[in-house]
Amino acid sequence: MTNINGKAYAMNAITPMKPWKTPFLRAFFFVLGAFPPLQAKLKNLSFIHFARWVIVGRNQFPQVSPQQHRENLHYDYLIFFSNFNGTWNQYIDAFSSVLSSGLDAIWKPSEKFPGSVPVTPFKDYIKQVQFDTDYYYDAYPRAATNDVKAALRVVDAFNDFSRTSQTLSPEEFEKAYLEFLVRVQGDLGSTGVAPVGT
Amino acid sequence: MANQSGQIYGLTILSPILEGDTLDICHATALRWYLAGIPRDHTSPFAQVSSTHFARLVVMDDVVFVGAPAIEEHLKSRYLVFESNFDGDLDRYLTRMAREIPEFVDSVWQHCVGYPGVADPAAFVAYMKKCQIETTFFFADVNDKTVQQNLKALQVQSAVSHFIERNQGRPAAEIQQAFGVLLERLAKAHPPLPGGIDSEKTAAEDRPHE
Repeated sequence: MTNINGKAYAMNAITPMKPWKTPFLRAFFFVLGAFPPLQAKLKNLSFIHFARWVIVGRNQFPQVSPQQHRENLHYDYLIFFSNFNGTWNQYIDAFSSVLSSGLDAIWKPSEKFPGSVPVTPFKDYIKQVQFDTDYYYDAYPRAATNDVKAALRVVDAFNDFSRTSQTLSPEEFEKAYLEFLVRVQGDLGSTGVAPVGT
Repeated sequence: MANQSGQIYGLTILSPILEGDTLDICHATALRWYLAGIPRDHTSPFAQVSSTHFARLVVMDDVVFVGAPAIEEHLKSRYLVFESNFDGDLDRYLTRMAREIPEFVDSVWQHCVGYPGVADPAAFVAYMKKCQIETTFFFADVNDKTVQQNLKALQVQSAVSHFIERNQGRPAAEIQQAFGVLLERLAKAHPPLPGGIDSEKTAAEDRPHE
């Protein structure tokens, strides 16, 4: 499936919004971007490598040639792109149960958005507005977001330990090695091919 | 700027797709057929532009009608959506695309209105910027590491996991000596290839001692 590459899923969704609502959504996103602590829940989910929301105003669709017909639209459009780990169902379920208030604030201006709770109409809506990816590249397809974050913690510990490891006596090394093991023990999971999703 | 999070740039481009067909099939379909045949591993064109973390190309046929009482409307053009998450500066990235993967760029964007080609990278960069839509909100979980730093970290993690497993219960002096060898080996090791190799085993999957 083209939406999937290794452990990552590429999701695209587009929803129409009445233009008078757009400035409120832009303001919401501005605040969300300006105060990183507000992104804590999104970060703590820890299965999204990268995600973005893009508002395309009804007059903002690029016109690059006079021969190209200019778009004539009633609505502004909100496009959502995500690079997440796991299955589509896991992702939408987690969004619905953990981020419902944030998601409602983001998609409430979109026409006929049913709310992110209960999850069944939310999933129906996402299915309706999602469109498939034709080509998807992932630089580290065997690693989930958590794998990358764990690997970076291992590198920090490894670099700290490496600086002194070869100058210690065997007794000092043993103690320092144990401290190193304690520091990295939670981050030693290996990467590999993804399990088959359901 | 919302296009950036830390040192990661979130590029969003919508290029209108040509409507007249010079082929037996329309440009959008020809583009989809072409993209379906492009490798997605370390031989991907985006693996050559090595600052790319994730990238996607999507043919967007139309906007979505969500049902009454919403108004049904349609786009006059199809659009090629190019979404990329990469390290550093936009001009440099687009110039690298024009210089390092010109055949791929030509094969894709030749189906788009106003595409100037890649012979003049500056013209290509200007064209892509004309098609750029500013990202309204961009989230990057890890936004302070390059592709190469992430790949190297995964390599170190795998090697350390394997090392610890293999050296359990050995005397400290032997572990210390072996750790010195590991340090040298990792210092000399080539960084893993971006995009991955399907047949490549990770250290944890290769367990000859078992």
